[in-house]
Amino acid sequence: MKDNKKLTTRDIAFIGMAIAVIEVCKVALQGIPNVETTTFWIMMFTIILGRKMLFVIPAFIAIEGCIYGFGLWWVMYLYAWPLLAGIAWIIRKNDSVLTYSIVSGLFGLCFGALCSIPYFFIGGFAMMFNWWIAGIPFDLMHGAGNFVIMLLLYKPVRKVMLSVDKINKN
Amino acid sequence: MKNKKGLIGIIAAVAVVVVMVVAYTMFAPKATQGGKNITIEVINSQQQSTMYEVSTDAEYLVEAFAEAEGLEVVAEEGEYGVYILSVNGEEAVWEVNQAYWSIMVNGEYGMYGASEQPVTDGDAYQLVYTKG
Repeated sequence: MKDNKKLTTRDIAFIGMAIAVIEVCKVALQGIPNVETTTFWIMMFTIILGRKMLFVIPAFIAIEGCIYGFGLWWVMYLYAWPLLAGIAWIIRKNDSVLTYSIVSGLFGLCFGALCSIPYFFIGGFAMMFNWWIAGIPFDLMHGAGNFVIMLLLYKPVRKVMLSVDKINKN
Repeated sequence: MKNKKGLIGIIAAVAVVVVMVVAYTMFAPKATQGGKNITIEVINSQQQSTMYEVSTDAEYLVEAFAEAEGLEVVAEEGEYGVYILSVNGEEAVWEVNQAYWSIMVNGEYGMYGASEQPVTDGDAYQLVYTKG
């Protein structure tokens, strides 16, 4: 998909599909603690959509808020997922499964630290620090899950995405 | 070059894991064993208070709930530990009624969930119906 500024009908359809895939996979995996494919899909779609992810991320965050309510966790989503898309955009020309797996794993490991930031404004550094510490076991599982999912799915999904993109361009 | 970058990435990831494990080992809340006398106060949506005095060996608050006579707590295992669904039959589920049961410890907002909150002798815990 061309990373130009003009939005085509095909882009709109692809963006809608990307949002649906991210949301459906998130709901489908809710029963398995600390295993999610949101990180994987946001990174993969950023490779294909480039700057057009600017339409996907806000829509995904808004849908999450509409389904689960606009609580404090939602504020965390406002910067955590755009940050991930930004990192994926920076490394988008890299084709190493190991690089993507490490970045995905590190994002999972740091997710709790990222999400603890709003607590600094509520209860100061102590509250932020304690909240992060309490969640470390979950962050470790999150990081491991992200690493393995990217390691297993990166190559086949990237291959399919690029072939679909090639067909669309022809 | 690629291998070098990969190696740096792996070292960075391992370093982050080590820092997290060390931080958790040093600063995580630690439960104490043995008999403890605590109080658990339930404040429902009508601001009515019910007090429970509990003598318990429980290490974490979720275990003490079961030992409080007359207190009925329904909870489920969630992504980030135990999530309290209802207390004494009153449901507070964000997706259903935009409410939740918050945990207060000695008058201050609790920093941990019921399954991570250590029980300490003499502590006063509150389960407060919180809307919005």
